[in-house]
Amino acid sequence: MGSGDDIVISVEGLRKSYGGFEAVRGVDFEVKRGHVLALLGPNGAGKTTTVEILEGYRKRDAGSVCVLGRDPSHRDKELRSRVGIVLQECAVDQYLTVTEAITQRAGLYRTPRPVGEVVSLVGLGAKGDARIKTLSGGQQRRLDLGLALVGDPELIFLDEPTTGFDPSARRESWDLVRGLCAEGRTVVLTTHYMDEAQALADQVTVIAAGKVVASGTPDTLGGRDQGETTVRFLLPDGVGVGDLPLPAGLHPEVRCGAVEVCLPDATDLLHDLTGWALARGQALEGLTVKRPSLEDVYLALTGGDP
Amino acid sequence: MNDLQVALHQVGYEQKSYWRNPMAAVFTFMFPVVFLLVVGTSAGSSKIPGSTLHYNQYLVVAMLVFGLIAACYTNLGVTLCIRRDQGVLKRMRGTPIATVSYFGGIIGSILVNVVLLTVLVVAIGMVGYDLHFPFHPFAAVVTLLVGVVTFCALGLAVTVIISNGEAAPAVINGIYFPVVFISGVFYPISDSSVLSKIANYFPVRHMVKALVGAFEPGPGSGLQGRDLLVMLLWAAGGLVFAVRRFRWEPRHR
Repeated sequence: MGSGDDIVISVEGLRKSYGGFEAVRGVDFEVKRGHVLALLGPNGAGKTTTVEILEGYRKRDAGSVCVLGRDPSHRDKELRSRVGIVLQECAVDQYLTVTEAITQRAGLYRTPRPVGEVVSLVGLGAKGDARIKTLSGGQQRRLDLGLALVGDPELIFLDEPTTGFDPSARRESWDLVRGLCAEGRTVVLTTHYMDEAQALADQVTVIAAGKVVASGTPDTLGGRDQGETTVRFLLPDGVGVGDLPLPAGLHPEVRCGAVEVCLPDATDLLHDLTGWALARGQALEGLTVKRPSLEDVYLALTGGDP
Repeated sequence: MNDLQVALHQVGYEQKSYWRNPMAAVFTFMFPVVFLLVVGTSAGSSKIPGSTLHYNQYLVVAMLVFGLIAACYTNLGVTLCIRRDQGVLKRMRGTPIATVSYFGGIIGSILVNVVLLTVLVVAIGMVGYDLHFPFHPFAAVVTLLVGVVTFCALGLAVTVIISNGEAAPAVINGIYFPVVFISGVFYPISDSSVLSKIANYFPVRHMVKALVGAFEPGPGSGLQGRDLLVMLLWAAGGLVFAVRRFRWEPRHR
């Protein structure tokens, strides 16, 4: 088959209203096999509705949606057996153990992954016999992931999968997601953590007020690669701003003894500055060079609410 | 695996979960047993007017009904409301399990509990209160099965009117206890009384009468057709209401 085979999800002109409120107002995007799509957007922007339509929980009002070549609104067994879903709440019978819950889930699929393998994949090897209600929040989230993976899905929906994780658990989860993609699985991720989107996503789509406001790779989203660079350093003792070797036309800001300069390309400026400092035998303390972060771009796109 | 095999697979996990949650078994097993041991002993063995059963023997049958309703209506209703609130039901909808298999697993587990309860309560009655093995065993089995169907259907239906899991036990027992009280579960109620006329609109009294009928000696099959019919009407109504209005997801996110 043609290149269409590599498109796992395609959404065109998707619309959905609740009562009189139009939550999704014409959303389009595509996801390729083996890619991670990060859906970003403020609460209430329509991203959960969009994802739940893809998962088959909601019916759309208009537009076309194709998931693994099928229409998710038909809720057919075949599609559900190829998709893994991690919802926000940890939602399993609290009285079962980790291994029991995953074995129970495995029993619902034709070709499940081995239970022991899944338990250790999500880092719960030591907790296999623990009752679910005794797990910490982070451990329950990992169990969630294990439950979604045991059916050996081609497509995985992760709804804020690392909320409440400590930093090292988050890194482990990121590695796990990267591993899933390396195996050719496709991931749709919703998150409020911009560093998570930056670390994992091949493609970022920002939804605000029911529409896609920007779409691109994490490095180019919203013209991020063309945004201004900010150079910042502490003003050396005994030096005035006027003494600095700054190109004409730049207007440095001085705040709390730190100089901040914004410009499209900092290459020349950095060369001049560091040369000047070296010649004086003085260090440029606190020197940082920053491009707009994904978060800066996101906040500008969505009007401030992460 | 076909849908039936998946349902049977679920029964085992439902049983594990049931017995690990000490609260669930209290109403179904402990209450009838303790009630029988305490009240049954002190109730004495005076005959009930118009029946061949003694008072304490009647209580055995009535407590079996009480436990069965707790196992079906109360347990199913509370369990489903809590699982709906926690998102367990929503998550199940995201897996390839068929709806009939999921409910089949839960109701299969309830059936296991009802069998255990029946053996336990009837054994207490036979050993402690000279209760005779049901004179019409077939009628007893049919009545118990109709009871499971009816009170499971009502357990499904009651979830529709409950908005959150924390309120579930209060609402479910708040409906159940008044009806049980006027239906002659704790003491026999005369057919001519006002209470029994009200109770006749509800399925509980009919369940008690149908099961008592199966225990009492007499000609015929022992099947109490009219009582069973009223129960089945409630079952059908409950089922239609539940199928139309059942919610898989919590009301508020």
